[in-house]
Amino acid sequence: MIPLSWYLALSAVLFTIGVVGVIIKRNAIAMFMCIELMLNAVNLTFVAFSSYFGDVTGQLFVFIVMTVAAAEAAVGLGIIIAIFRNRESLDVDDASVLKL
Amino acid sequence: MSTLLFILFGALAIGCAVAMVAHRNPLYSAISLIGVFVSLACLYMMLQAPFIAAVQVIVYAGAIMVLVVFVIMLLNVEEEVRRPARLHYLIPVGVILAAILTAEAAFILKLPGASSRADVVGPQASDVGLTASIGAGLFTEYLLPFEVTSVLILMALVGAITLARRTATPRLAASPDFDIEPPAPSSESGSVIQPGDTEATGQAYAQLQIERGEAAAPDAGKEGES
Repeated sequence: MIPLSWYLALSAVLFTIGVVGVIIKRNAIAMFMCIELMLNAVNLTFVAFSSYFGDVTGQLFVFIVMTVAAAEAAVGLGIIIAIFRNRESLDVDDASVLKL
Repeated sequence: MSTLLFILFGALAIGCAVAMVAHRNPLYSAISLIGVFVSLACLYMMLQAPFIAAVQVIVYAGAIMVLVVFVIMLLNVEEEVRRPARLHYLIPVGVILAAILTAEAAFILKLPGASSRADVVGPQASDVGLTASIGAGLFTEYLLPFEVTSVLILMALVGAITLARRTATPRLAASPDFDIEPPAPSSESGSVIQPGDTEATGQAYAQLQIERGEAAAPDAGKEGES
């Protein structure tokens, strides 16, 4: 049987890759996808604990995290479209000041 | 067998995640991210959470990634240009800090007693992950978070529409070919408002304009008095 720590280690590795992506990426959409990856890594932790301890709460939390991720996707992509419309670029370095 | 599957799907997830970060084209990144989602769904199946696995595929790999790919197509995103790294002195610092963090994590895992806490028996054959038990938990004990989530979805809906609309300041809803100028007084004697006209005359004039197609809606009757 797989130890729980394997799942936690996999989740930590995925989360770290997501953090690295957010830091090194310059494209707003790519950073957005890295944030999704971090959310998924945490979801894996939740499901692993929920399954190993036989408690349904973790999976309910995963459900709510997915809902928040969907809302974040809608609003985030709306922001990205608005930035692109104003600056003709998705580079976050071009959007480093608030005024146009 | 399950160890083999874990290694397979875990390696697939990590590989796809690394590919996602490494690719410069956002579309390839999105496809790699779908690979991560699918392999995570397989891991959820191994953890006896079929509902979460199905929702993962439907919501993440389906809805959210379709939205992301749609935005990529819509904005016609070009590849990222490779640019020279700034702040060169930070690279060795980052390597050292990462090594320290990894060593800390390994030390914690190797502590006596830590493994007994981290390695519990394993997923028992239970009905925890089934849709019925998740639904029962969601609609009894966690009903309030569920309802709050629906409010959140509504706010996201309104916010996304507000952010993505064409004009920054919402204009009043008027059709683009609507004539803002007051209609020129027609030469026909019957439709010119004379001093001393009553409200009925104004309404008749408005009705006349509606019939001619100069005014739009039934509640645009005020147009006739101008």
